[in-house]
Parts: sequence; C-alpha cells; structure tokens
Amino acid sequence: MNETIITCSDVCIAYGRQEVLHGINLKIPRGAFLPFTGPNGSGKTTLLRAILGLVPIRHGSIQTPFQKCPAGYVPQHRIIDPLYPVSVMQIVEMGLYPERRLFRPLTRAQKQRAADALDQLGMVEHMQKNFRELSGGMKQKVLIARALVCEPDVIIMDEPTSELDEKSEQDVLQHLMTLNRDQGKTILMVHHDLELVQELTHTTCRFRHGNAEIVTLDRAEADHA
Amino acid sequence: MHDAMQCLYCQFPEALTAGLLISAVCALLGVFVILKRAVFIGITLSEVAACGVAVSFLIGIPPFVGSLALVLGAVSLFARPYENQRIPRDTLMGIIFIAATALTILLVSKSGPGLMEINAVLYGDLILASSKELKILFAILTPALLLFLCVLRPTLYSFMDREGSKVLGIKTWIWESLYFLMLGVIISAASQIAGALLIFCYLVVCPAAALVASKRIWIVLIAAPLMSMLATFIGMVVSFNFDLPTNQTICMTSCILFAIISTACWIYRKVIPITHNH
Repeated sequence: MNETIITCSDVCIAYGRQEVLHGINLKIPRGAFLPFTGPNGSGKTTLLRAILGLVPIRHGSIQTPFQKCPAGYVPQHRIIDPLYPVSVMQIVEMGLYPERRLFRPLTRAQKQRAADALDQLGMVEHMQKNFRELSGGMKQKVLIARALVCEPDVIIMDEPTSELDEKSEQDVLQHLMTLNRDQGKTILMVHHDLELVQELTHTTCRFRHGNAEIVTLDRAEADHA
Repeated sequence: MHDAMQCLYCQFPEALTAGLLISAVCALLGVFVILKRAVFIGITLSEVAACGVAVSFLIGIPPFVGSLALVLGAVSLFARPYENQRIPRDTLMGIIFIAATALTILLVSKSGPGLMEINAVLYGDLILASSKELKILFAILTPALLLFLCVLRPTLYSFMDREGSKVLGIKTWIWESLYFLMLGVIISAASQIAGALLIFCYLVVCPAAALVASKRIWIVLIAAPLMSMLATFIGMVVSFNFDLPTNQTICMTSCILFAIISTACWIYRKVIPITHNH
C-alpha cells in the first residue's frame, strides 16, 4: 500500500458561525488521482484550500509535505488582476519561485522548463504575449503550466478545465493522467463531470452533508441515483 | 535655456537634488500603488504626515517623529488584506484622509504660529529644501530604495496573486507589510519637503504614464522613475524661468507628460495595422 501523503484528522472548518465541514478524516495516499465530487456548496473547494493552508481550520489537523516541497495549485477563478503588465512566460516563471527565491536569476534550464510546461499545454507560441490579452481558457492553461513547472509531488486543482473547450479539456486531463501514472504525482482535483472522471480513476473523495469520504466511483454514482 | 538650467542648479542645488530623488523613489513605489488599486494612499498618508507634524508642534517633539508615528499607525490599518472585509480599503483611506485633514486644521488653530506660517512647514515647498533636509532625505530614501529593489520579486508576486504566492511558500504578509512600511517612511520624510500634492503626483501620474506606455513590468519600473525625474526637472526649469510655484508647476508638467504619452500611445495603436494570426 502507498504511504499517506496528506492526512486530515477530525478537521472542522467554518466561515464565521457557519460550519461548512466537520469531522473530516482522510488519508490520501501518495500517487492517488483523487477527484473531489459533490453538489455545489458542499465544501470541496474549502477543503482543498484548507489543505493548502489558505483557509484556517477550526479544529483538527492537516498534515502535508508542502513545507519542503510546495504543491502545484490551480485556483478556481482567474485571480490575476488584468492591470498587471506581465507576460505569459513571467506568470509561468512565478511557479519557479521556490527555486529562485529573492535574487537568483533564471537559468537556461529553468527557462527551458517553463517553455516545456507551456508547450505541453499548447501555449508556447503565446509565451511573449501579455497575460491579460488571452482568452479565459488560455489563461487557465497558463495557470496549469505555472502549477506544473516546478515539478511538484502534489498537484491541486480547483475545476481546472471549467473554461476549456472539450478537446483542450481531454488533452489536459490526459496529461494529468500521464503525470500520475508515469511520474507518480498525487493529483487532487475538484471536478463536476463524474462521467469524464470515471474514465480516469476508480475512486473519488465524495462530499455531502458537511462530510467527506473516499469511495469508489460506482458507489458514488449508485448513491447519487 | 542652458543658462537658466545652470542658474537653477547654482541657486537651488538642494531643491533640484531633492526633487529628483523623491520623484524617482516615489514613482517606483507608485507603480505598485496603482497596481494595488490603492491610489489614494499617497494623499492620505501625506495628510496623516502633516497631522503628525501638527501634533509634534503641540506636544514639542521633532516633527519627523510625530509624522512617522502617525503614518506608521495608518499604514498598519492599510496593510491588512481587504478582500473579505465589509468595506474596501479606499473607503477606510477616505475616512482617515478626512480625519487627518480636519484634525490638522483643528490642531493648527490651537497652536502658537498662525495658519499661513504653519502651512509652509506642514505641507512643504520643494524650492525651500535645505542641505540638512537633503541629508535626512538621502539617509532615509536611499536605504528604502535599495531594500525595495532587493524584495521586488516577492512583492510583485504577493501583490499579483496572493493565494498563489502563499502556496509557493512566499510569506505574503511580510512583503505586503514591508511595502506599506517603506511607503509610509518615504512619505513621512518626503512630504515635509515636497508637500502632499507633489508626493501624490509622484506616486500616481508618471507611474500611470509608464503603465500606459508599456506592457512589460520591467520597462514600467524603469520608465516611471525616469519620466518622473524628467517632469521634475522640466517643471523646476519652467517655474524658475516664469516665477511660478514650484510644486504645482511640476504637477502640471507631469500631467502634460501623461497626456502626451497617452495620446502618442493611442495614435500608435490606431496607426499600426492589426496583425492577423491564421
């Protein structure tokens, strides 16, 4: 059995007085491809953000390896203000900050990795364009490239394909599957399309009634019906 | 004109040097003020600084100390994240601006010297910069500028995408707080020499011109201080030649420069044909 890479122990999360999730106990194994599924407002994004340390937990604990190696993160909404005059390449280079810190310039190898990350998503020809000039789907691909460029062990994505066309969505999901199968990357992803997800994996982290559990997709579908 | 420029430097070397230094540093930080969509922070902190000077006169402490203390207090309120608050940051800025302006006048009305005399002290006039003030300016602005250049990368990332930066291990609260702290210290030091209006102008007008002119952040960060220094120099030469108030002439020169650059960029975009990608 694979070692556990993320552990949630009796986690409770609330926004003010509104409890969103309670008693969450999850052990996510290394190398898992785990979609988070459930109705709107069930806490999928909340738990994802809590795992990343972006949302405080009311009680319980979450253990992750992100102190040593940050996760690759693709947020739900486009979060870069269009006022910023930054290029596509500069957005992807941001993903290399853990290696560069304050002063280190970009090495040739790092520039090539950034270009390769864009190439894998079909975006390399746009790398000198200003980020704000791109369409919603293209921006999402650039943010995915940013998440992948530092070669993280864990990739966390919140509806990463919501603005992509069908072909682009298939390509991105296939690419994620390749990273999972061939390189053993752990992938956590909020995704609403159970049918699409069934082609990629057998288990899901199902959210309902303020709780979350890892179940097989067959059981999730049966319960949903 | 050449004689006029030489005369300007001979007669007011401190003013020219102070103007160029303040304009360059404020313009560089001003790029982030605009990108953070917190434009009114400049005028608010300048008024808070003036209020601090008024408090200093009343209680008998050095003006810079009083000004810095109040500015740092205001900065500590602005440095918090405001995305999930009930009121936006610029609303709080407006409230503090009103309070600082009103309190300054109330305090001055109770002070010994009259309002007109204290105005020059509170609000500054670049042309009156002394060598002592210039030394203080160098001592404060130069290290602040060097520090800002050192932390430019994490500051840019923290401002551009706070959550993405946190996930990458960037301590966003440190860089954001440091930025606002530097801004507060610079405004405290500079506003007594240059005045609130001119500081606000330096933080906004030429950085805005640079953002209009370029789509590349590094070019913007170089162009903004250069444009600001150019506007300062031209403004001072014009004010010296035509016996006009220095601060206001520099402000108008900056605004004219902004208008020229914006118009030129607009014409360029209309004239250059659109390239089609097939």
